[in-house]
Amino acid sequence: MSGLPEDFKAADWFAQARGADHDPGDEKPWLEWIADSAHQKAYENCELAWELSGELRGSPTLTVLLAGADALVTRQRAGAPAARPRWRVPVWQVGLAASLLAVGAFAWLLMSRPTISEYSTAVGEQRAVSLADGSTVFLNTDSTVRVALSRNLRRVELSRGEALFSVSHDPGRPFEVHALQGVTTAVGTQFDVELTRGGAAVSVLEGTVTVGATGTATSAPPVAVTAGSGVGYTQEGAVSELRPAEIPRIQGWRSQRIVFNDIALDTALAEYNRYTHTPIVLSDPALGSRHINGVFHIGDEAAFLSAMEQGLHLKATRGAAQTVLEPEAGYAP
Amino acid sequence: MVFMNQDQTQVSAVPADASYPLDLDGPDSGSPLPDDPSHRAYVTMLFNRHRVSLHRYLMRLVPPDDAAELVQESYYRLLRHGEMVRIDAMARSFLFQTATNLARDHHRRRATHRAPLHVPIEDEEIAEDHSGPDEQLAGEQTRALLERAIAELPQDTRTVFLLHRFRDLTYPQIAEVMSLSARTVARKMAEAIERLSAAMSEAT
Repeated sequence: MSGLPEDFKAADWFAQARGADHDPGDEKPWLEWIADSAHQKAYENCELAWELSGELRGSPTLTVLLAGADALVTRQRAGAPAARPRWRVPVWQVGLAASLLAVGAFAWLLMSRPTISEYSTAVGEQRAVSLADGSTVFLNTDSTVRVALSRNLRRVELSRGEALFSVSHDPGRPFEVHALQGVTTAVGTQFDVELTRGGAAVSVLEGTVTVGATGTATSAPPVAVTAGSGVGYTQEGAVSELRPAEIPRIQGWRSQRIVFNDIALDTALAEYNRYTHTPIVLSDPALGSRHINGVFHIGDEAAFLSAMEQGLHLKATRGAAQTVLEPEAGYAP
Repeated sequence: MVFMNQDQTQVSAVPADASYPLDLDGPDSGSPLPDDPSHRAYVTMLFNRHRVSLHRYLMRLVPPDDAAELVQESYYRLLRHGEMVRIDAMARSFLFQTATNLARDHHRRRATHRAPLHVPIEDEEIAEDHSGPDEQLAGEQTRALLERAIAELPQDTRTVFLLHRFRDLTYPQIAEVMSLSARTVARKMAEAIERLSAAMSEAT
């Protein structure tokens, strides 16, 4: 550790220690420096900053910032052909060619003998599935995916429910999620696809994906969706305008929670009922316009119903097929 | 997670100014300590050098009584870890990282014991977290300060930090991706750490 500046500060020492060229030769300057109590305190702040910043992983702000850093790496790697096999195409071309690949997908799959597996969850169940390529699929309640992995393509078909995909980076092998007549394509990223009433919704948490139609009903080109954004598409694969990703809701279900942030009660119940066999219904549809806030643990219906009673003065009557919420006697909203 | 037993907390608290040697046999649950006198001597020396600092550091993450206990647990953890890089600054990083992980486990155990099942949204900004607040040591204010500090870094500095911290790229790898010298990467890392540590002193 020779030639260190006299005024080396805590952050300099910290950055130096993390460098691969750290030379163990002479530790004396470091040992003398760290023996000082004021230096130690400054160094503790660096260590705290380093350790705690790791907990920001997945926060919306960081996700967006990371997407920017990732884009730089992707660009650089794509533009540096030196160490790459010749047959590999630059990453940006993979994006453009995604829809073409989709057309030829079956031919490729047949040629390279994919392994096909099906994974499902029951109502109220959630499950994480690790795929052979290093990607992970998180299945939400009442969902089914079929996964086909081959040498050239990673193809998932979401036929029911919702799943979050954490895709390992592999520019030579796009990761496609087919749902209805639409396809979401990525090379390495994190995104959620949910089958909704009459279509599907895509939210991107990390990286970039393209969303486009697979059928012939729509001829529009695929839309690029970056971290923090999302789109919806219809049954036929017509893609909507960009909108914010449903990050709180997705992070909620990933940690077995349902998050209601000032939304109408009927919408909230539709979401809640995805996780239960005995749906909760309102005695009077007019009650559905009232708004609700809260974080509820999936599966803890008692807590949810008690919040309904205390917060909205709605009393629950449990039946075999459903639970009915009605206004408490004598309480006028 | 071999020797840690959450129901058994008979490890004694270490006063901030106590001197070692410690109870070298440790809690009697778990695997026996590896019999490597040179490793034990190194870990003990490392501890004597950084223990006061580690204790002060842990006091900022967990309640004071628990901090003393975690100092001791970190020591056992390193003893059982086997061989480690004997470069002091790196060994210290490993020690502090181990201690932080122990603090996080500790925090999670406490949280799961008394977590209410229904939390009003005002009390829990779920939109701000990924792995759930039970698994995190940083409070809401600290997170906000760190997040802002990262967002406000100059772009190159921020990219260096993000690639190293969250993508595990080494300095030479970052240097290649960003067409910078490894020395510049180290300088930018130092600048990022400097700003983030300023946010930490603001937080406490």
